[in-house]
Amino acid sequence: MEKERTEVNDVDRSMYDFRYSDKDSYKVNEGLTEDIVLTISKEKHDPEWMKDFRLKSLEVYNKLKLPDWGPDISGLNMDDIVTYVRPNTKMSASWEEVPKDIKDTFERLGIPQAERSSLAGVGAQYDSELVYHNVKKEVSEQGVIYTDMESALTGEYEQMVKDHFMKLVPPSDHKFAALHGAVWSGGSFVYVPPGVKVEIPLQSYFRLNAPGAGQFEHTLIIVSEGADLHFIEGCSAPKYNVANLHAGCVELYVGKNARLRYSTIENWSKNMYNLNTKRAICEEGGSIEWISGSFGSHVSYLYPSSILKGDDSHAEFTGITFAGKGQNLDTGAKMVHVGKRSSSYINTKSISKAGGISTYRSSVTVLPSAEDSKASVSCASLMLDDISRSDTVPAMDIRTDKADIGHEAKIGRISDDAIFYLMSRGIPEDDAKAMIVSGFADPVSKELPLEYAVEMNNLIQLEMKGAIG
Amino acid sequence: MEGKGLTKLHVNSLPTLTWNFLKINDAKVEERIDLNGRCQSLIHNIPNGIIIGNAGCEGCSGCDNVNGFDIRSINGGMGREAGDFFDKACEDSLVIRAKKGVKVKEALCISYALKDTDSTAIKQVIVAEENSELTVVMDYSSGVSDGGFFGVQTKLYIGKGARINLVKIELLGRSFLHFDDIGAVCDDTGSLNTIQMELGGGKSYVGSNIFLKGYKSNYKGDTAYLCIEDQQLDMNYYIGHEGKKTSCDLTVKGALRDNAVKSFRGTIDLKKGAKGAKGQELEETLLLSEKVKNNTLPVILCDEDDVEGSHGASIGRLSGDILFYMQSRGLSEKDAEILMTKAKINSVRNLITDDKSIGKIQHYMEDAFSRL
Repeated sequence: MEKERTEVNDVDRSMYDFRYSDKDSYKVNEGLTEDIVLTISKEKHDPEWMKDFRLKSLEVYNKLKLPDWGPDISGLNMDDIVTYVRPNTKMSASWEEVPKDIKDTFERLGIPQAERSSLAGVGAQYDSELVYHNVKKEVSEQGVIYTDMESALTGEYEQMVKDHFMKLVPPSDHKFAALHGAVWSGGSFVYVPPGVKVEIPLQSYFRLNAPGAGQFEHTLIIVSEGADLHFIEGCSAPKYNVANLHAGCVELYVGKNARLRYSTIENWSKNMYNLNTKRAICEEGGSIEWISGSFGSHVSYLYPSSILKGDDSHAEFTGITFAGKGQNLDTGAKMVHVGKRSSSYINTKSISKAGGISTYRSSVTVLPSAEDSKASVSCASLMLDDISRSDTVPAMDIRTDKADIGHEAKIGRISDDAIFYLMSRGIPEDDAKAMIVSGFADPVSKELPLEYAVEMNNLIQLEMKGAIG
Repeated sequence: MEGKGLTKLHVNSLPTLTWNFLKINDAKVEERIDLNGRCQSLIHNIPNGIIIGNAGCEGCSGCDNVNGFDIRSINGGMGREAGDFFDKACEDSLVIRAKKGVKVKEALCISYALKDTDSTAIKQVIVAEENSELTVVMDYSSGVSDGGFFGVQTKLYIGKGARINLVKIELLGRSFLHFDDIGAVCDDTGSLNTIQMELGGGKSYVGSNIFLKGYKSNYKGDTAYLCIEDQQLDMNYYIGHEGKKTSCDLTVKGALRDNAVKSFRGTIDLKKGAKGAKGQELEETLLLSEKVKNNTLPVILCDEDDVEGSHGASIGRLSGDILFYMQSRGLSEKDAEILMTKAKINSVRNLITDDKSIGKIQHYMEDAFSRL
């Protein structure tokens, strides 16, 4: 007899699937040419070095090949992608000055409400440009700088940007890093001075409204010695019948004994190719914590990486991936141990259903200099039906004897034994199933601020039906 | 066989690729191999019921066919290029067969003794017909400082309810290039047990492709390795679950010392339709010198929900607690490392029941440790 299965609903995207006309926006032509790159550079008021950087990145892009591993991205045609869409507004520090349809968008996404209740600062990007940026007075008085990348690049922080921009993720890293270097626009710049602890999080929210467009925002965060910051990134888009592309870049510099927590709830629409690159470097005693929820996109390549350069530096990656119908999400993390006594921990969960493909991919590299380092990897995958797929591909490259590396992975469905165990202790069957599935996602949701944990729980609407298979 | 040279091969490819910077998607053999066919082989014991060679058994139309199953369709774990190499290098295969219903507990033992500059490739076919059982123990050895090439390809067919126990002991010299290419297919309720001791050789490439085709077929693999001085060992295991309720359990244990380099790829592929299948793999690596390099990639591919797959890996040095315990009992750090290395390797060696083989392993290890 065919066993019944726990039914888990797809991520409810209705709150994200609304759109406005982009007729008033300024767009460059589709495709990727030197002229387009120069036009973007002019539109962005780039200094000369940045214009040259873009052109060199374009050269690198044209030389590099597409990856020969990972999900199929043959449906992505750069000739169809508009790399720069500027909404018909300027950036504002007041919601009142933001055009109505854009304001409505962020209102429906709950961004202003979140700012009032639980954030120290907010940046809101609409297509290729920031339309709103604000930071609370008491935070800016601490010397914290939170601004859009264009203002940082063309203002008093130009040298700081020049010293750090795409130094962690060079354009030669891979084809889409080179693409980003050529056409990037938007994004946030954060600088936290030495010793400053930002008590409540900053958030950037990225919304891609235009069909067939790419979003290439650059996030550059510098957390100085002894400082502390929690940064939250959210992203969404309405669904179109044409491919959209997200090839953002996040570079995080964590100073000596500093701590940075970087949380992401990614809920791009299912026509999105999410080819994002995120990388952090930690100095002595520095700590980076990645919290990552991947729910959207048609195809994702997403592997936040941590370079543990300093002695006693530490990295943690906690992630959940939910691959539903039509989705191929290839996610994971990379850890590179360079400093002595550096430590890392990867803990991931993935759920596949309705034909979705979820791949956990990781690498832990321990260099000869990383004496007395430790790394631990734990990944678990839940298969919710027999038309979906889940793979794990974790690599460990260890080049010293003075290291301790542990790894464990499990793939399967909800265990009959676990249901039986809970039922034998008086818990009704449906409750038992709900407990197990929500418990599976718990390591991620408990790491998020309350408002975002609620959002994540909304994203994974778990509806239990029938018996467990 | 003479003069069939080779300059470059891609072997031990992963069934699914990952980042190229890790350099683990495959291995490249760049040494030139000029075969001269020199190798001394000795079959110590042919138990009653075991047939050797193309003896015209009933239902056999040559060594490529077993009751309608084409042995040539079995792929080795080292991959297509290695398969082509063996096909070109060897015209014949040594065929070992247990006929239907014949169960032999006594092991068939084969020794391959090589000398310096010997360069040989051989192919073997081992067949256990329905409800039969056989055990084959083979070792390859040479003088410690000898060099040359020794390649062996073993294709196995395990019929319904049959069992093959395969033991391979590699004790070649430190300048030998070694290929060990295994391919197996298990029919309903068939069992394959392998024990592999990868102790010698300069550069060794080991590939196993185990295909659990039949209902409730199963595979248990235990491999131990010791890589010291400049030894390089590259392993690729692939276990494909196609039949319902199939199971596999792969354990790989060993130690790296001096400038040794080791790569391990282990893939459990739970294919669609393999309902009730269970696959697990475990790797334990002891790192004993600062210049060692270890690559580990345990992969699970899962295309079916009613399955269980798991893997674990533990890579590192001797724990401080163990070292302290042993030193408090009068052992030096080096003695403690040797003791723990022996413990890892012997946990696999102890699964071998043939006394002569155990003696050879013991002798090899004592010699290796005496020169550390």
